[in-house]
Amino acid sequence: MLETGEAARPAGWGIGAWVRLAAPALLAACLVLAAPGVIGTYLVDILVRASFVAIAAITVDILWGYSGFLTFGQSAFFGLGAYGLAIVFTGFGFSPTSVALAVTVVILASGAVALFVGWLSFYPGATPLYASVISLVLPIVLVQVLYSGGTFTGSSSGLVGFDSFDLANEDWFRVAGLGLVAVAVVAKIYLSSDAGRILSALRDNEQRCAYLGLDTSLRRILLLVVCGVVAGMAGFGYAAYGGIAAPENASFLFGTELIVMVALGGRGSLAGAVIGALAIEVASAFLSGSLPYVWELIVGIVFIAVILLLPGGLYGGVAHLVGLARRAPAGRTTRLVQAPARPRPPDAADEVVRATGVEKHFGSLTVLSGINFTARRGELVSLVGPNGAGKTTLIRCLADGRERSAGEVQIGGHPIGRLAPDRIVALGLGRKFQAASVFETLSVADCLRIARTRHERPSWFRASPVLALPPAARVVVENAGLAERLHEPARLLSHGLKQALELAMVLALEPEVVLLDEPTAGLTRVERQRFGTILTELVRHDRLCVLIIEHDLDFVREISSRIIVLHQGRIALDGTVAEVVDAPLVREIYTGHGQMAESPA
Amino acid sequence: MGTLLLDILTTAAGLFIVSSGLLIVFGVMKIINFAHGAFITVGAYAALVTYWLAVPLWLSPVIGFAAGAALGAVTEGFIVRRLYRRPLDAILATWGLSIVLGQLVTLAFGRQVQFVPSPLAGTMALLGGDYSRYRLALVPAALVIGVLFTALLNGTRLGLNTRAVILNEGLAQSLGIDSTRVRFITFAIGSGLAAAAGALITPLASVDPNMGIAWLTNAFMLVMVSGGSLLTLAVSCLVLGGLQVLASTFISPILGGLTIAVVAALALRLRPAGFARA
Amino acid sequence: MTGDPAPLLEVSGLSSGYGGSTVIRDVSFSVRRGEVLALVGKNGMGKTSLLKTIMGFLPVESGRVTFRGRDVTHLAPHAKRRQALAYAPQEQALFQDLTVRENLRLGLLSDGAFEARFAQVAEAFPILAKRLGQRAGTLSGGEQKMLIVARGLMAEPLLFMLDEVTEGLQPSVIDRLAEVLASRRRRDGIALLIVEQHLPFALGIADRYAVLKRGEIIASGPVTADAARGIEEHMQI
Repeated sequence: MLETGEAARPAGWGIGAWVRLAAPALLAACLVLAAPGVIGTYLVDILVRASFVAIAAITVDILWGYSGFLTFGQSAFFGLGAYGLAIVFTGFGFSPTSVALAVTVVILASGAVALFVGWLSFYPGATPLYASVISLVLPIVLVQVLYSGGTFTGSSSGLVGFDSFDLANEDWFRVAGLGLVAVAVVAKIYLSSDAGRILSALRDNEQRCAYLGLDTSLRRILLLVVCGVVAGMAGFGYAAYGGIAAPENASFLFGTELIVMVALGGRGSLAGAVIGALAIEVASAFLSGSLPYVWELIVGIVFIAVILLLPGGLYGGVAHLVGLARRAPAGRTTRLVQAPARPRPPDAADEVVRATGVEKHFGSLTVLSGINFTARRGELVSLVGPNGAGKTTLIRCLADGRERSAGEVQIGGHPIGRLAPDRIVALGLGRKFQAASVFETLSVADCLRIARTRHERPSWFRASPVLALPPAARVVVENAGLAERLHEPARLLSHGLKQALELAMVLALEPEVVLLDEPTAGLTRVERQRFGTILTELVRHDRLCVLIIEHDLDFVREISSRIIVLHQGRIALDGTVAEVVDAPLVREIYTGHGQMAESPA
Repeated sequence: MGTLLLDILTTAAGLFIVSSGLLIVFGVMKIINFAHGAFITVGAYAALVTYWLAVPLWLSPVIGFAAGAALGAVTEGFIVRRLYRRPLDAILATWGLSIVLGQLVTLAFGRQVQFVPSPLAGTMALLGGDYSRYRLALVPAALVIGVLFTALLNGTRLGLNTRAVILNEGLAQSLGIDSTRVRFITFAIGSGLAAAAGALITPLASVDPNMGIAWLTNAFMLVMVSGGSLLTLAVSCLVLGGLQVLASTFISPILGGLTIAVVAALALRLRPAGFARA
Repeated sequence: MTGDPAPLLEVSGLSSGYGGSTVIRDVSFSVRRGEVLALVGKNGMGKTSLLKTIMGFLPVESGRVTFRGRDVTHLAPHAKRRQALAYAPQEQALFQDLTVRENLRLGLLSDGAFEARFAQVAEAFPILAKRLGQRAGTLSGGEQKMLIVARGLMAEPLLFMLDEVTEGLQPSVIDRLAEVLASRRRRDGIALLIVEQHLPFALGIADRYAVLKRGEIIASGPVTADAARGIEEHMQI
């Protein structure tokens, strides 16, 4: 259903959504309040600890299951929380002031450490392996620091014997339990919101996020800071209850236990993380006494089996059996509206791409040299040439400031210098990849919404029922038939539809220039024609500048206003369709007639 | 001064011996085998058993290698191979294996710390001090391992095939190389080497079910910094091992133990691909 | 030269693709022993994907590939090579960091026959004998292609599949390659399946041709003067 005109303000969550969240939360809260009267004191004790551990497990799931960062280091933050409290209470005794001080210390320490670790782990070009390795080194370093802390940290025995909150175990149970419920509810609201979906986008396709203008490093660092602080406060609670802070609370082993809990319970589902943590903590408490090493052996074997056979964990496996596919919540509808038009500044230059003397070398191999050209609004420039001519390399040099070896590139009149792709997107560039680059586990609507992040800040607690798209993107969505499939997960779309979705996402950026890499590969003839029409319309009507790498020369001849022929890393020809199609040089390049100079290796 | 130098050399030798198996696996399969520490432990316990059975102790690395290689073969076939397209999950699965092996060892041998006497007892007068003979023996052992593997990689057809798989697996396949088999053999050899390393280092330390873990972190930081070259690994072991010895001697032994991890982490931040082509 | 009438390589109804799209559609053709078939067509039309599918690097959606009378449709790439089917891909066809000698050794399944086989190949490409110890990456473009062809020929395959081997080469080098391939084919009866955009080269040594467009074969037949003209039209921009 489509509406034009001003975008309506999001109607917010319907009653249904609130009920779906509030009901289980209230139920859980009631259970927590009532349980201590029913279950035995031993179980109460275990569950208090287990609840704090479960909070830490939730942070692990958010980082790993949702945003794709395998972290062994959340235990370090847990330990920081425990030790922060223990050190303050040991040094200053127990009083409201010392409690406030301890909380402040824990929050600041966890936040600072998370900021540093985040800076270390998440930078453009970082690999996931490196980030995981750092997350592993963190608790090891922390534990060694604790060991060498003398009486300040209690060395290998930890800190014990400090005064703490004077609460009965049952009251602790309620505090811990309600804390767990609260953290789970807040996490659930956030993860279901439009902003929370970005985490899954980061996990699915970080490169696409960067090319939608999102600063992926910053987002990961901020997420880590929040999760670090939450895990720190969980450790705070754990030590407050248990009256002891030990190096084991911060250890690498505990960090891996958290991973095991989340993996077994079900990564990527909050319920799974909580169930996994609670179940393993309780089972460990009961079984490791009677079956000391066998219990851990069983956990290890089940863990391997889960990784191999059931990556979704027990929760994922059960959900799959019961047929709860990961669809949008029942009754979710999305209204497609027109985004308000953004006025183009009156002095907007006509020229949107300028390349001067661009070169690219790989060691002694020269892939591009002497590339000079400009492209203007309203031009559809096709970039053609044999394989290995350097076409994709050229696109990369335009889209990523760190790629080229020499020369200048300007997008929208601004030099790109050494900027990363997300900053160049902000200058007005959109890039569409050869293999449709979308977010596989997210719905079509979510993919498009994330593409609008630069222009429309997503809500942190709502899943908006309205999707505002600029006209160009809307046209693509309607024409391709995506408007009827807004809630389908992107991975279920056909190849042609995925390509259309990616194009719509790129157009949703409202770019000045769009770079397309072989967009018609694998499309049927009908899809190709439709695509060609859309492109020519965009160029003519919206005055977009389109640069397209293509092999289908019939297609190129039909839609281009200009053709640039690339050969052996240089521009061999740059002219109108008429000028280029009949040029003898082009025949040579493509069919091998005539003499050609050999290029140096 | 002389003792310091020897400490650096022997520490580097020990690190090299322990890390070389992990490097080989990382180079070919592009994953970090988190069970490496457990294989080290297995080798150490193999040495213990060798000692109990009154078999000549110098055979323990050989026995350890056999045990490690067998375990590695089983691991690759049943676990690692299935996770070819999920490298982070492969790391997790090998960590799970590490837990399992650790528990099995504990069940079989108990949790207590045990000792294996050194096959080469006594000290030797060198560079102005008396130095443990066995520690010194680590240096030629490391050299032998380094030379042996370089010879294997560069001098044999299997080594050439392996290098081909490392450089371009698809091309290697089109030339008739069964890359699955190469990965299998590599993983088995890497695991065997880990166990042999475990057997070699036991006389210097003690034997307990969790000993391998301490070596694991240092080993894979060194491997990642080396970016896949045996020679760079040797250099990294010398440089980082040396820094560790210096930090332990002049600052504190506990913090010294962190040197390798911290320095390697920072170095990788500057050069994520490692230093193989420096 | 035609030999045994039963085809060496038979492709029937082959379809394949990746990422959800179909790139090769219902392709059928055959190559006899000692025959040279040229697969021509414009860029992006599926020629490389076809070779990759035959070799086993792209999954087959439907259809069959038979080699030496055996169904090899789903046989792994390394096993195909062991059936005397040699393949030189278009990109990354050499180990740049290994020496010329090592690259050549890898052309054979084992080192035993290296010296004898290399002697024959050195006749055809004497420059390689001078560069045995150099890293392949330091060779010029033409020399690298010669190395690729030499490596394939050393294997004495029954069928040698070459993907755009003339790309980026000087005419003199192209001529040399054509000469060597023609003479080896005469002498040893090696069949060739060449994917090419360079028509003079392709039609110069081929017995038959097939034109690939958008993943389908739209024309095929023996190479004659008339055919050559028709093919050129298919290749125009």
